[in-house]
Amino acid sequence: MPSPTPPPSTGIRRGSPAVRLRIGFLVIAIALSVFAARLVQLQGLDPNSYAQMAAAEGTVKVDLPAERGDILDRNGRPLADSVSGMMVVADPELTYKNATELAAFLYKKLDVDYVSTLAKLRERGSRFEYIARRVPATLATEVVEEADRKDLKGLDTRRDPLRSYPAGDVAANLVGFIGTDEPLAGLERTFDKQLSGTDGSERYEVGGGNRIPLGESATTEPVNGQDLKTTIDEDLQWFAQRAVRQAVEAAGAESGFAVVMDRRSGDPLAVADDPTYDANDPTESPKADLGSRALQDVYEPGSVEKVLTASSLIDLGVVTPRTPIIVPSQLRREDRPINDWFPHGTLHLTLAGVIAKSSNIGTVLAADEFKQGQLHDYLSNFGLGQKTDIGVRGETKGLLPAAATWTHQMQDRIAFGQSLAVNGVQMAAAINTIANDGVRVSPSLIRGSATTDEGQVVGSDHATRSRVVSAKAARQTALMMERVVDPEVGVAPGAAVPGYRIAGKTGTAQRVGAECQCYDGTNTVSFAGFAPADDPKFTIYVVVQNPRNGGGGGSVAGPVFSKIMSYTLRRYGVPPTGTPPSRLPVEW
Amino acid sequence: MSSPAMQVRTRIPRIAEVAVEKARLTVVPRRRRPAGRAPFLALVSMVLLAGVIGLLLFNTSMQQASFTTTALEQQADRLAARQQSLEMELEQLRDPQRIASAAQRLGMVQACSPAFLRLGTGKVSGAPCTSGPANALQINPKAPAKPAILNPPATVVTVDPPAAGTDTANSSADTERGNPDRAARNGKKKNNR
Repeated sequence: MPSPTPPPSTGIRRGSPAVRLRIGFLVIAIALSVFAARLVQLQGLDPNSYAQMAAAEGTVKVDLPAERGDILDRNGRPLADSVSGMMVVADPELTYKNATELAAFLYKKLDVDYVSTLAKLRERGSRFEYIARRVPATLATEVVEEADRKDLKGLDTRRDPLRSYPAGDVAANLVGFIGTDEPLAGLERTFDKQLSGTDGSERYEVGGGNRIPLGESATTEPVNGQDLKTTIDEDLQWFAQRAVRQAVEAAGAESGFAVVMDRRSGDPLAVADDPTYDANDPTESPKADLGSRALQDVYEPGSVEKVLTASSLIDLGVVTPRTPIIVPSQLRREDRPINDWFPHGTLHLTLAGVIAKSSNIGTVLAADEFKQGQLHDYLSNFGLGQKTDIGVRGETKGLLPAAATWTHQMQDRIAFGQSLAVNGVQMAAAINTIANDGVRVSPSLIRGSATTDEGQVVGSDHATRSRVVSAKAARQTALMMERVVDPEVGVAPGAAVPGYRIAGKTGTAQRVGAECQCYDGTNTVSFAGFAPADDPKFTIYVVVQNPRNGGGGGSVAGPVFSKIMSYTLRRYGVPPTGTPPSRLPVEW
Repeated sequence: MSSPAMQVRTRIPRIAEVAVEKARLTVVPRRRRPAGRAPFLALVSMVLLAGVIGLLLFNTSMQQASFTTTALEQQADRLAARQQSLEMELEQLRDPQRIASAAQRLGMVQACSPAFLRLGTGKVSGAPCTSGPANALQINPKAPAKPAILNPPATVVTVDPPAAGTDTANSSADTERGNPDRAARNGKKKNNR
């Protein structure tokens, strides 16, 4: 380039402002395009992840746990109760030094096992160990604070909801229990959705452990679970459970249960099972005891069913309580003989006598008046062979053979309560039909209304009433049943409650063994009845499976009935009606 | 193009030359008024300062409120937990089993069949009775049977009867016959051997 030319217009000189300017612009342009590229990358290609990273800085998200609804008895007392609980956890790296001291302290305060706790506190390489789970929150916080004061560092608490069953084994078979994370049995599981509610959450920014005001925050309020009201009466349930257990132990029986029903509403006031379990510690009991035998076990009702046969016959108008029946010592039906439970010659019994003495032969002879299918329809109307749907999962529907499959022999056996199977609440509801002037009320364990997790709506709001037999037939049956507890003519004087008119019926049925699928020589003994007989308030049904002391319905189940009935009448203040008892003739 | 304009211009002075001369615009020197600046600046800075301080105070008080909220929320949580624990304790105290065993310890018994005294008429309905062992309710389960290893048969040492006359021998035989328990135990002992 020619250097001497002075004017700038002619050429470009090195170091001239124009050159500097251009180079400068170029540099700026390069820098800007880098920025632009970065901008496109940040804003155009992946904007969300950066936004999230920015938001996560200093933002905490906490769950707002919904409180699980309580399960209440009919008086509002909790059978299952939610308590805010915490778990106590330890960081072994911090607890390692003072492990022995801390373990002794925890043993004293939280009643945890010393040796295993010590091992956890000394665990190498771990930074998180569970020390105690489901501890009431107050206790957990106190313990950790006290440990801090004693300079025993390394403990912490986390939320861990606690479910408490204040009455332990009372109604445990119905209520069920909760495992480590989820409900495992009973109402807890059936109504889990309703009880658990919906957890909420909250997101907000924090600084130094405190919430930044005006910072970003979002809250989803939790929806607490709804309480579940049952028809169970806690004290009565307790009494019934103890009475049944006493009888089961005394008779060396396998199991037993009692159902107490309010006659008018059909509400079960108690469904007492034995053996039962402690709902606070269900793992201590065998798995077979964790359900409700009153609803899940199927068995043949035996002679208690004769009440249904007799009331159906009276309803048809083909017999009356005074109908004379000649009862031979043995009845041959086709190829099989039918015997009574007691040896006798030919007896001249009325229908009332047949019931009072629980004669199979007399019942079969009376049941001959049924036309094909009539007994089946009556039993089906009484609710046999159908689930009661009271809200307990795994309920059996029993076994009522279809009308088309009935043979004569089968009808004979069904007439006195064999060859068909029921569950306890089903049978109690059937007997309650007699007490309730022939109108069957579908039982409901839930007060009001509730929806199971499967979407089934149950509860006393949906109870149905249907007439099965006429009021007259029901009352006449009740009069016949009163003769059962008569000390002179009846078979179960032990079921009487002195001063009251009691109507009842015993049952001693052959049991089908699980292995041989045949009658294995063991029995199901039972007693069903209601009181006061002329104005029934309560129906009680007691069943004891396989008493090994050779007792029958009258001697094993009868006294339990009497005990529970007398407690129930006293508890609800039901005075005797004071009317003269039934004097129906049993013989002619 | 300019000639008509010129004509207009020239025409106007003719009409009111003095007024036009008076109205002619002239450049005048700008008048400076530095005196008004200071109060204005002061006012603006005051406003700014007040705003900043106000905002600071407001923020501080909000922060303070947030501390209080956190503290109160924690307290509320603690108290709610305490209430629940106490309620749980109350329910455990109300447990029918606990009440029954407490009542039993006090010597109370289960009542027998209910009876009613009508205060109006003085009549008694029902069958009043005295409760007895028949009404007893066993509130605790039977203790489970101990396994054989924890429940060994009683050790019985049989001492040979003193060698004496026939009279003593007879009498000892009588006692043995009259006391089947001992005879059985002796028998067991022999079996054990």
